[in-house]
Amino acid sequence: MRILRLGPLGITTHRRTFAVGLVMLAALAGLFIVALTVGKSDITILDGLRAAVGIPVGAPTDFIVGQVRAPRALTAILVGAMLGLSGAILQSLTRNPLASPDFIGISAGAGTGAVLTLWLIGASSLWVVAGGAIVGALIASALILLLSWRHGIVPLRLILAGIGMGFVAQAATQYFLTRMDVHDAGNALGWLVGSTTGRTWTHVTVAAIALAVLAPLVLWNARALRTMEMGDDTARSLGISVGPARATLAVSSVLLAASAVALTGPIAFIALVAPALALRLTRNAGVTLIPSALMGAVLLLAADQLAQQMPDTLQLPVGTFTAVVGAPYLLWLVWRASRGGPS
Amino acid sequence: MTPTLKTSEAVIGYGGPPIVRGVDVEIPDGQITAIIGPNGCGKSTLLRALARLLTPTEGTVLLDGTDIHRIPTREVARRVGLLPQSPIAPAGITVRELVARGRTPHQKVLRPWSPEDETAVMSALHSTQLTDIADESVDQLSGGQRQRAWIAMALAQDTPVMLLDEPTTYLDIAHQYEVLDLLHRLHHRQARTIVMVVHDLHQAARYAHHVIAMSEGEVAASGAPSEVLTEQLVSSVFGLDVRVLTDPVTGTPVVIPAHSPGGHDADPT
Repeated sequence: MRILRLGPLGITTHRRTFAVGLVMLAALAGLFIVALTVGKSDITILDGLRAAVGIPVGAPTDFIVGQVRAPRALTAILVGAMLGLSGAILQSLTRNPLASPDFIGISAGAGTGAVLTLWLIGASSLWVVAGGAIVGALIASALILLLSWRHGIVPLRLILAGIGMGFVAQAATQYFLTRMDVHDAGNALGWLVGSTTGRTWTHVTVAAIALAVLAPLVLWNARALRTMEMGDDTARSLGISVGPARATLAVSSVLLAASAVALTGPIAFIALVAPALALRLTRNAGVTLIPSALMGAVLLLAADQLAQQMPDTLQLPVGTFTAVVGAPYLLWLVWRASRGGPS
Repeated sequence: MTPTLKTSEAVIGYGGPPIVRGVDVEIPDGQITAIIGPNGCGKSTLLRALARLLTPTEGTVLLDGTDIHRIPTREVARRVGLLPQSPIAPAGITVRELVARGRTPHQKVLRPWSPEDETAVMSALHSTQLTDIADESVDQLSGGQRQRAWIAMALAQDTPVMLLDEPTTYLDIAHQYEVLDLLHRLHHRQARTIVMVVHDLHQAARYAHHVIAMSEGEVAASGAPSEVLTEQLVSSVFGLDVRVLTDPVTGTPVVIPAHSPGGHDADPT
């Protein structure tokens, strides 16, 4: 065990978890530098870092790094962290590795909300679309809960209801798309595949605010989350107010996923895979929030880079790219479960 | 002096018709209490209400003289520990980590692991004889060891009162007595108040100082094992004609069915 102290405050973590966290931070820093400097025009590391924080270094670089690459990479990092965190919470609450917002219809609900907003208001403001996505995700989650509720939440029923909800939400999205003006529909479709292309500092600001509000709320309840994995009775008898903690965590998870969808469109599999990988690397027993967030950030930034560096004939939006990588993982998970192994 | 934990006219249920119908029980301090009764008589329900997991629809559960529902969850968790019937061990958790989770009610956000936490965990591991296997994964343990690990978690919680819901179920006979002997030692050395729901009447008689027999949501009798476990009472509570013998080792009652296998001589009518 390792104790990190700051005056009277401190957190306790396992040495291995701490080390894995440091490695992931280093990987993230490395990927960030790659994202700033590598591309159609190569830029030196020093120039890249300076331009990213707004120090002028010369005409094309200031624009390429300052207005294109830096906000895009930061959006990928923040959205990846949101997805990782959101998935980790859901998987822990339901004690099921298949529960992730993209899998159980929450992201699909956010997509429907955003597309409906685009159709009704023709909104070009990111804040309005984000609002639509959040409302859509909350409605979808409420419906999933309502459909699966019977004297409490049964994880399997929740997941089945969520998958059903996902199809309904997608059908609704398709319907709105057909009703929309062709130009708007084209924009909405481009957004629906999930992409970090053309993200601006406004996106970064929205993402940073969402994380700054939600992450502390989640971390404050981290112990409750970990304890609830041992069952509600055990958690209560260990002094956890299960009801309020669960509600706070569930709503935070939904809001994180919805904000992520609002910013980049639905990006599949990050929320599903990141917590599982973080768990495997840290070998923690039970949910590990900060490593899951870091892993989400690393995965999305790496996927975004790979998608960008592909030859032009193979260029894919990052949302499609993560699906290509994530689908085999899902199949492996199902295969393992069917073999009765630990999941 | 009033006991730490008691109920007053408590009516408890799960929303439908009440399972426990107005019971007054007093849990004697520093003793082992066994709650017995047939399936569905409300013994686990009563235990859950004593642990504040259920709210009585009428009446109250009193902890140190205060309605337990007026005491914050965390404060209750520092005074009353519960080992539920089938707790879930997170995959891959080690014995030490599991036991450390018992410290949850004593910890706060952004306050690190304290020397008191460490001492409590070490002593819980020691008194359950798990020190040597503290770094093994709970998944790998035998049934008896696993149950000891859960009891160690409840011990690390360091509460004066410990409630256990069927702590010996699913264990073979040797492991059952291993757990019961452990509880006995805890009572003996640390003067903990222990309340357990048990099915085996012989175990209740042998290990408990106080027995509460429940029947159809009410307390049929309570008192010392020899007072409660009479042929008349057990026959009426469980609906089975029984004979009560005396345990040659401890002198406590042993309950056996009055009929021979197959039920030939069973019906006295």
